[in-house]
Amino acid sequence: MEELIRYLAESLVEQPDCVRVYTKETRRETIIKLRVAQQDVGRVVGRNGRVANAMRALLEVAARHHRKPVLLEID
Amino acid sequence: MADAQIFTGKNVEEAIAEGLRALGLSQTEVEIEIISRGSRGIFGLGSEPAQVRIKPRPVSAAPQLEPTIVSAPPSSEAPQQRDAGRRPAAVSEAETVSQVIETSDAVSAIAETEDAEEVEQIETAERSSAEEEEQLAQLASELLDNVVRLMGFEARVVAEWREPDADNEQRYLLLDLHGKDLNLLIGRRGETLNNLQYLVRLMVNQRLHRWKNIVVDVEGYRRRRMEHLSQLALRSAQQVAQTGRALALEPMPASERRIIHLTLRDHPDVITESSGEGERRKVHILPRKSA
Repeated sequence: MEELIRYLAESLVEQPDCVRVYTKETRRETIIKLRVAQQDVGRVVGRNGRVANAMRALLEVAARHHRKPVLLEID
Repeated sequence: MADAQIFTGKNVEEAIAEGLRALGLSQTEVEIEIISRGSRGIFGLGSEPAQVRIKPRPVSAAPQLEPTIVSAPPSSEAPQQRDAGRRPAAVSEAETVSQVIETSDAVSAIAETEDAEEVEQIETAERSSAEEEEQLAQLASELLDNVVRLMGFEARVVAEWREPDADNEQRYLLLDLHGKDLNLLIGRRGETLNNLQYLVRLMVNQRLHRWKNIVVDVEGYRRRRMEHLSQLALRSAQQVAQTGRALALEPMPASERRIIHLTLRDHPDVITESSGEGERRKVHILPRKSA
């Protein structure tokens, strides 16, 4: 799942080298954190969060066998 | 010299503004070609974005990104341009653009009434070399293949360039996924598929800096769904015509409501409209009042 988000993000930004993805586990959720270069934030968020939500939708399907809900957070 | 780039917006005016912002150039420093004026869709639904191709105008002397040129209003810019050959060209370009902006306000549901000239431009652009199309098909297939694999599916991408059809005004690249248990990739009413398509388009655009019409499908789902929806529309219209009573269809996403509206656009007995917000928005089919 981390790999999916990393691949999507790296393909969407101007500075793929600055893409950082890590996973944080809490008791109830798995949280995938995505960080990109300042200038690229718009590219992974999109107008009205459309890009971020599209990534969340794919993540939800990718996490179909996961035992906890998986969230995507963009810093 | 920098290549032309394609920008989109709700209308031509916004697409141009977006492009100029992105490039950091003013209108007089670029060449603008309108690819599509976009459409507000029917009753404001199923709208298509306007597209423009913007190419930095070659300037021999001054560097293009010089801030004084960018921020200078057009009037103060004129005296700077002593070069007799360049000035009239720049002015006429600006005039063309403002004309387009004026007319774009008048563009409504019927975006089909494009100038023959524009259509010709699109065709020339689209008929770019077969090699280029092959490369694009390869790149897009690879991106989609990787995404689908990272989502945990085993699928094969079949890529094919298609001529314009009822649902696509331009020649488009169809990426059809084949494999086992891909229903989850389609999602409820095709929403996962639409998200996948949206991201693949963005990724290709980011790589090539060129907008191309790409359709992602799973084993012909879109075509089957479209046929199903047009039949549903026609059957429902018949019922409304016979009973004289309006009926409402199930809530649908914009892309599906659009098919209903288009199918019944010229129907003699009924009209269609949508109501409701977001997830609950649905199409109503009403008897056409005989004037």
